[in-house]
Amino acid sequence: MVTWKRTVSVVSVFAFILAANGMSWADAAAGKKVFKAKKCGGSCHYTKGPAREKTIADQKKKKGPELWYAGSKFQKEWMAKWLQDPKPIRPLAFNSLTKKNPGNHPKLSGGDAANVTDYLMTLTSKDVKAGVIKPKKNPKGKLIFMKKMPCSGCHQYPFKKKISGGMTGPSLVGAGKRLNPDWIYAYMVNPKVFKPVKIMPVFKGLLKDKDMKNVSAFVASFK
Amino acid sequence: MMRITVCLLAVFSFLLAATPQADAAGGKELYSFYCAQCHGVGGKGDGPNVTKDMPVTPRNFTNAAEMNKLSNADLKNVIIDGGPALSKSPMMPPWSKTLTDKEVDALIKHLRVLCKCKGK
Repeated sequence: MVTWKRTVSVVSVFAFILAANGMSWADAAAGKKVFKAKKCGGSCHYTKGPAREKTIADQKKKKGPELWYAGSKFQKEWMAKWLQDPKPIRPLAFNSLTKKNPGNHPKLSGGDAANVTDYLMTLTSKDVKAGVIKPKKNPKGKLIFMKKMPCSGCHQYPFKKKISGGMTGPSLVGAGKRLNPDWIYAYMVNPKVFKPVKIMPVFKGLLKDKDMKNVSAFVASFK
Repeated sequence: MMRITVCLLAVFSFLLAATPQADAAGGKELYSFYCAQCHGVGGKGDGPNVTKDMPVTPRNFTNAAEMNKLSNADLKNVIIDGGPALSKSPMMPPWSKTLTDKEVDALIKHLRVLCKCKGK
């Protein structure tokens, strides 16, 4: 009798795992369909790596950021919320120096947002190693970000309960909830894998590895 | 023989004529992409990053008097190694790992177009 009960519970655990896996596959597949149906791909967001841009003209043609490594770059919880209420991340319109970000990114319903999030989280990059960066307000990272290097010239960031900084880069306010800390570091170390043509300078070779880790941990601490 | 010489001369003169033009166009494109975000599309030091939070004013490239004080070598140093290379602000980034030597030269040519000056 006891053995029989045990068998039943083992079988139900397996059934649950199978169902859960099946569900998560179904969600990602459904998300991919929504992504396609809403025409999120094409000229707005490409989803197949590696990076395609070779020239400034290639970069300027894009209407939105590439998403082929979205699962490595973003945090899942943030993405599911953002897709339902997409507030501008960049102060200026994508690829523009003159137009304000119109904040007109399409909104998704809760269900579609969850499925699209599941789909985008499947898009990962082998160049992002997990568990390297722990978010931390550290004085060395702060010094580099705010004084030694010009990060704040282009990126908004939270400073003394206010928002400070420049306009042309994506805002880093809330970066701790939005970005995967390990992606920030991977991007610092290997920027051209993700964005071969970009307006941000390459700091690899100018900052020591330890300092790139410090800056990444500092940015990952932004609320 | 004469014909070959004429042909060669024509090819060389075409190459000579074409190169500076190609560089100038490249310089403008590079400038609009990398530099205009702080120095402004027209080079007046009024790019979109110049907000109240910017601790310094980016150089106005249309100011010939100021730009004439700088040699092309000065400009090259500051583009490659950033503001501190000329005892200026680190808000001017070091572009050495981003731009090639050729691209920096093309940029300097464009800066001289903006200032309508040759430098010291």
